[in-house]
Amino acid sequence: MNKIWNYIKNWFIEMGSPPLFFKWSSKILPWLLFISITVFIVGLLWGLFYSPTDYKQGDVYRIIYIHVPSAILGQSIFMFMAICGFITMVWRVKISGMLLKSAAPIGASFTLIALLTGSIWGKPTWGTWWVWDARLTSTLILFFIYAAIIGLHSSIDNKTKADRAISILSLVGIAIIPIIKKSVDWWQTLHQPSTFSLTSAPSMTPDMYQPLLLCVLGFYLIFALLLTMNLRAEVVIREKNRSWVSKQFLNLER
Amino acid sequence: MLPNLKVENLSSVRSEKVIFDNINFDVMPGQNIEIIGSNGSGKTTLLRTILGLINQDKGQILWLDDNDNYNKFRTFDCFYQGHSLGIKNLLSAQENLRLSSYSFGVSEEKILSSLNRVGIKSHSSFASEMSVGQKKRISIARWLLKDFGIYFIDEPFSALDDQASSLIVEIIEELNAKGASFVITGHRPSEITSNQITLDHEV
Amino acid sequence: MAFRRSSTYITPLIFFLIVISFFPIALSPDQDFLRSLAPGVIWIAALLSSLLAIETIFSEDFRDGTLDEFFISNDPSFVLVFAKVLCHWLVTGFPILLASLISSLILYLPVSSLLPMICSLILGTFFMSLLGAIGAALSLGKSAILSAIIVLPFSIPTLLMGTAAVSSAIDYQDYSGFLLIMGAMLAIGVPGLCLLTVEAILLNYE
Repeated sequence: MNKIWNYIKNWFIEMGSPPLFFKWSSKILPWLLFISITVFIVGLLWGLFYSPTDYKQGDVYRIIYIHVPSAILGQSIFMFMAICGFITMVWRVKISGMLLKSAAPIGASFTLIALLTGSIWGKPTWGTWWVWDARLTSTLILFFIYAAIIGLHSSIDNKTKADRAISILSLVGIAIIPIIKKSVDWWQTLHQPSTFSLTSAPSMTPDMYQPLLLCVLGFYLIFALLLTMNLRAEVVIREKNRSWVSKQFLNLER
Repeated sequence: MLPNLKVENLSSVRSEKVIFDNINFDVMPGQNIEIIGSNGSGKTTLLRTILGLINQDKGQILWLDDNDNYNKFRTFDCFYQGHSLGIKNLLSAQENLRLSSYSFGVSEEKILSSLNRVGIKSHSSFASEMSVGQKKRISIARWLLKDFGIYFIDEPFSALDDQASSLIVEIIEELNAKGASFVITGHRPSEITSNQITLDHEV
Repeated sequence: MAFRRSSTYITPLIFFLIVISFFPIALSPDQDFLRSLAPGVIWIAALLSSLLAIETIFSEDFRDGTLDEFFISNDPSFVLVFAKVLCHWLVTGFPILLASLISSLILYLPVSSLLPMICSLILGTFFMSLLGAIGAALSLGKSAILSAIIVLPFSIPTLLMGTAAVSSAIDYQDYSGFLLIMGAMLAIGVPGLCLLTVEAILLNYE
């Protein structure tokens, strides 16, 4: 038991070093690529084409197989970023700062996809491209927060300092986001006494639910893939003056 | 006698460039240390790292406390003056000194006598109307407001005429006699000490 | 010291009134229409004025070296930051409150809602100042718009609670719940945000 624990601890410490991380990620990248794309495509195909048609909404509801995983990912990624931010601030670990920076655009994209697919779902189902309901509004605000984080990072030239800046911002975010959701929820009950709940998904039978789960898993794997790719790029850019980078790519001795 | 401040093996790296490495020195009470280097060699960063404004990458900074043990946190009062002098333009000289001393309370006479010592006559005109040399004198007056243990002054002799420079040397010697030490930075060795540390890479 | 430079406390007031005036001008000067808009419009103007006022809270002190004292002195730095934000808010908050009273007049807000409006604005603008301090510290030396992007999404709960307080007062309903929530946010925010602001300021030294 202790051996496993030590192994995990050593792995964490090693991953903190950019060249070691790069080597390790190069090894697992092909596997990750294969697994994530497979699960992603299988899940999507199953959901989009092979799951049963809904009684009330017809085939349009299938966009849920993109919309729901994107929304879930958008929120989970923010939590992931907040944890990375905490680690960066408290223990001054560089790699968690870079993880945070690499995850941000991915999270923002998923949130944006959730918004767009939600919009596309809304038009045929409820007749409008946009509606200020609780969930859409809080997702929109989440997108703004992502944009703020990305914008702040790009405005600071010293990238290590930028990482710490967005760590602070993600910590403020994770504290405020629950409050935002609660207050937007409440605001909605005030202004939408309408009888239909706009974000109700069709009640799901198991054959609809299973592909959804698979899609969520697929999206998570794709996130892992994209995160690894982003982080690798980030590591190379930041360490471009170091000898291990030129050895790696140009096979040159400095 | 034990040194008031020990700096061991200090090293700082920013954006993958080494700013300074393997800095070691001790500050004994009543003695001064000078950090010499050209522009951009990291002198200000070194001062700020010692004071705790910036975190170092390697090494430690130890302060002597009352029981003759060494502590990682500052145990006695220090004074820091950076490139920007810590003088507010909207306040007069007198009010500036009052602001600096708000946390330890200083009598008006002490403020006035400090200003007189450094040669500032007009106590109540706004700092924005004064020259750089006069503003420097006001910040020197701040040194006299309290008995600090160590003074960290960034480039005290820059932009000063001979009269003001010798005034500084005088005041430093007086304060040394009381047991205070000075850690200063500069481009060239000055006459207040022969203890020098040179930072020689350009960052 | 802020009083020496009168622009510090006059500009938030004027900005507030200008923003408020835009609504009747751009939309409609109809009394009932403005009255229904009033709580939200006043709050939006308060948010924006508060944010722009806080913008420069640290920049001058950073430039003239006075900010260093916060971290060199023996007092805990986040207490000093809190004191600075508090003083700043006291100077800029009153003009905003005054502007809101004037605005309530020109937007035909009923008198019954004045007290909750003032209370909610007091709580809300102080929270905004705390948030704005972090934004100012993170974007020290950079554009104000960046600071706005950082701070505004986080101020949405305050906006919602504040407008709710005023709106429910117009309808003669109980508004104390909203004020309590805003007070709770302040209570948690003061230590948390001040600590994070200290970290954010220290970043600028690296």
